Amino acid sequence: MSARRLSQHAQLVGFTIAAIALIFGVWDAVIWLFGLQPYVLPTPQSAISAVVGQWSTLAPLTWQTVKETAEGFFIGAAIGFVLAVVMSAFRPVQRLIYPALISSQAVPIVAIAAPLVILFGFGMLPKLIIVAWIVFFPVVVNVLDGLAHIDQDLVNLSRVMGARRTREFIHIHLPATLSPLFSGLKIGATYAVTGAVIGEWTASSQQGLGTYLLSANSSFNVQVVFGVTLLLTAIGILSFLLVMAVESVATPWRSRSTAPRISRPRSPQRLRGQATGSAAEPSVPAARGLASTGHEQ
Amino acid sequence: MQVTDPKLVIDDVSCEFDGVRALDGISLTLGRGEFVSIVGPSGCGKSTLFNVVSGLLRPTRGRVLLDGKDVTGDTGHVGYMLQKDLLLPWRTVIGNIVLGASLRHGATRRDREEAAMLAGRYGLGEYLHHYPHALSGGMRQRVAVMRTLALKADVLLLDEPFGALDAQTRLDMQMWLLAVCRDLNVTILFVTHDVDEAIFLADRVAVMTGRPGRITADIAISLPRPRGIGTLTSPGFTGFKRQALALLHGGELTAPRSVS
Repeated sequence: MSARRLSQHAQLVGFTIAAIALIFGVWDAVIWLFGLQPYVLPTPQSAISAVVGQWSTLAPLTWQTVKETAEGFFIGAAIGFVLAVVMSAFRPVQRLIYPALISSQAVPIVAIAAPLVILFGFGMLPKLIIVAWIVFFPVVVNVLDGLAHIDQDLVNLSRVMGARRTREFIHIHLPATLSPLFSGLKIGATYAVTGAVIGEWTASSQQGLGTYLLSANSSFNVQVVFGVTLLLTAIGILSFLLVMAVESVATPWRSRSTAPRISRPRSPQRLRGQATGSAAEPSVPAARGLASTGHEQ
Repeated sequence: MQVTDPKLVIDDVSCEFDGVRALDGISLTLGRGEFVSIVGPSGCGKSTLFNVVSGLLRPTRGRVLLDGKDVTGDTGHVGYMLQKDLLLPWRTVIGNIVLGASLRHGATRRDREEAAMLAGRYGLGEYLHHYPHALSGGMRQRVAVMRTLALKADVLLLDEPFGALDAQTRLDMQMWLLAVCRDLNVTILFVTHDVDEAIFLADRVAVMTGRPGRITADIAISLPRPRGIGTLTSPGFTGFKRQALALLHGGELTAPRSVS
């Protein structure tokens, strides 16, 4: 890692800490300014310590909620992606399904939760459906957009090159969906936690952070309410960061000027010296520093 | 114009879109290893003709013959390059060069080795693993030319490939292309609106006029090769330029050797 990259990372961490400090600072200032009692609005410190103090109880609940969030997220993302690909490949399907997609998001998710429980019982399934319901939409819209914006000249070029349809899809259409896919996934990752909590509120046989939040709320345990809310927020933020990290590995061309060593085929590497050696023809103008940026490895 | 060893024959091609005639009886024959430029104003149907020759568009009338075989409306026979480099941002230089192989049967180690050799030979050796966004416009067009050559098609269609480059880079690229052509025995159909470029590169310049698109003259460019900067200011060059400009702008036909 170069010094520049390192300082970029240090800056990112610094700004993140400052942002969190700012939120807690405003929170503390509001309590102090309006003279709020701890049973109305607890301090961030006491909310956090409530979570730490009850961690042995909260840990399995956190795990349950994280599991619902992650599984629902993957199901929703997969459905969204496949749907987008199918819709872009078959125009009539797209025209048929698109209005249904928009309707699906216009339906209040809380309202659909109860019928889902009647249909699928109190198990994991209705929760996963709710999370997936929320996640699939930004994925399908973004990926569809990405597929629709592929340059027609590029498709023509591929045809002129004698491409097979499946290969054209794999090498031109599929990689073009990556950037929009990750845009959709980042939105979905933060919403997924909300979906899991709503799922737990309506379909709660297993205990999760959402159900715990409800019971803490009904017993006026505001410190726990705020503590668990902070915990849920942290899960959402971490999911977002995780998606970002995967994105930067999956789309190296967006942040680097050269391919990572690991993804380079070996043979040309070995041939490089040989190949440049034969460039001794005087008539061929050399590549006089025409590259706009230098190496970054 | 009489061509002894025809490689590519465009035979009386006409194209109509919704009753509007875009191309009107275009006939042009390219000899093996010949470099022919088509020069004409924008909207004269150059790109339509291009799509017909590449097989993307089936003409209303007429045929395209390659080595005597009818390839009208069939793709996959010629190399093809546009003003837009159309490089895939997620592929490195070498990955972009082997794109044709990837799309046809999957790029093998051999394809990559050949691509690396080709790239090294024509000034891209240091940039094999760079992504396109890290390259300048001129370098990107070189990669696009390499991608076209890697297909090993012996007929290349180049549609204003250097149109988006600045004047200096464009001249560099033209000389570079001349060097590449001399090495590889390829037949090139080169479309441009730049008269200088058309004459500098080609063995023949076909002048095209629009609405409907017709070829109005076919000028043999008898300038000696290899050509260089000096060619651009030679009296012969100026003569051809005067002739082509007069044809394009409807002026008096004063120079000889033009065939309508």
